[in-house]
Amino acid sequence: MSYKIPMGPYHPALEEPYKLDLICEGETVRDAKLHIGFNFRGIEKLAETRNYIQVIALMERVCGICSNIHTLTLCMAMEKLTGLEPPPRAQYIRVIMAELERLHSHVLWAGIAAKLMGFKTMFMTCFELREKVMDVLQAISGNRVNYSMNRIGGVNRDIDDPQAVLKMVEALEKEMARTVIPIFTTSSTARSRCAGVGILSREKAISCGVVGPVARASGVPQDLRRAAPYAAYAEMDFDVPVQPDGDVRARLLVRALEIMESCKILRQALAKLPPGELNTGDEKIVFTTGTATSRVEAPRGEVMYSVSWKESARNPSRVHVRTPTFAVMPAIRWMVMGARLADTPLIQASIDPCYSCTDR
Amino acid sequence: MTVLETIPEKLGTTEPWVETGGVQWLTPAPMSVRALTETMNDLKARFITVTAYQLPGEQGFRLEYHWDLDGQLLGFPFALAGNSIDSIYDLCEAADWIEREIHEEFAIDFQGREYEPLLLRAGDAPGVNLREEAKK
Repeated sequence: MSYKIPMGPYHPALEEPYKLDLICEGETVRDAKLHIGFNFRGIEKLAETRNYIQVIALMERVCGICSNIHTLTLCMAMEKLTGLEPPPRAQYIRVIMAELERLHSHVLWAGIAAKLMGFKTMFMTCFELREKVMDVLQAISGNRVNYSMNRIGGVNRDIDDPQAVLKMVEALEKEMARTVIPIFTTSSTARSRCAGVGILSREKAISCGVVGPVARASGVPQDLRRAAPYAAYAEMDFDVPVQPDGDVRARLLVRALEIMESCKILRQALAKLPPGELNTGDEKIVFTTGTATSRVEAPRGEVMYSVSWKESARNPSRVHVRTPTFAVMPAIRWMVMGARLADTPLIQASIDPCYSCTDR
Repeated sequence: MTVLETIPEKLGTTEPWVETGGVQWLTPAPMSVRALTETMNDLKARFITVTAYQLPGEQGFRLEYHWDLDGQLLGFPFALAGNSIDSIYDLCEAADWIEREIHEEFAIDFQGREYEPLLLRAGDAPGVNLREEAKK
């Protein structure tokens, strides 16, 4: 006999509001239905009422974790409509900010995953490290969450002392290599809670069109930084970690290894930061009529913006945002099928869901 | 000949690819969106999303279907005189949520599928969010 257990929209096991209707037989989940929309703010509609300065501030608020990525992708699309090309120094600073944000996001997720595994000491360690990443972000931008770094044609602020930031990054890397990485990759607690749990096969990952670490943990080697480089990524040497198993442990390993790759990229970008201007310095931005699209590899996977503008118009006529969680979330249904009911909080958290992004 | 260059022939069009705004565009008419999806599936292209635009006056809508082929972003525009188009959900599982979202935002009907509410809450009707008539 099957029965339905509703989880959410507000539930201690969920990070943000959404709802899972779980169809169970005994302790085994047989099917699940997802409900989103509890964070819906109508941001795409609001964007049509904002000018090119205001729309950047608005889109920075799509997500509290990857706010910089949203403004980066939006500015890249608007640069195509204005013909402005950011100077090399700005492209490097964009890479540095994007990788610091990836570190921040992955360490935050690692802490939440540790908590859901029942590993609360690790939760505290991860959040302490996250604070240090946020300190670096604050040292560069002056802000801890919404950094206001991107503008059309470049960035707003410089990195005055790359060596000081490099020292902070090296300290972070050392601490992560000493604590977070070994514990997540070798501890028996992490293994027993995550191995073989919430499997998404490679075939299903491709058919669902999942992106980012979830795709890479199912053996799909997909990363826009490598496949379609933007900013200064073409000049960076890094690996794209891929795991074949498709379970929660594989997602854990991919993110843990990506933390080390982000540190590697940061060291290169800070060491090679070219001199020059921060932006094109244009006082007046002139748009041509048309639609432009840009894509960026956010911490959770591919973000895509389509921006439509009419010449001499004050506001965009359309801004469409495709966020990574929107692409990944439907796959939760396949991950929880056949899983134990008690594992569902960890499984749904293993995609590192962002409901603010999804609902917009 | 690259895979990209073989696509127009597969789609039965003589139109060339046009690169603009970061996208390789191809107008697949007269091919249907379902035939396009089957072609993209055969090429193992990755479905990304559909972007909907409401055109001025009585011109209807434009839907832009996007796939990724080895890192290249491909775009296929479809003009809708009315407010319906075939669903590709049964051919491309990844299109499920975006079809549901566009249905709710613009009241466009994707024929051949059923909907469950995605973003709308009780009392809201499709089109309440981005349809021009609703904005006025």
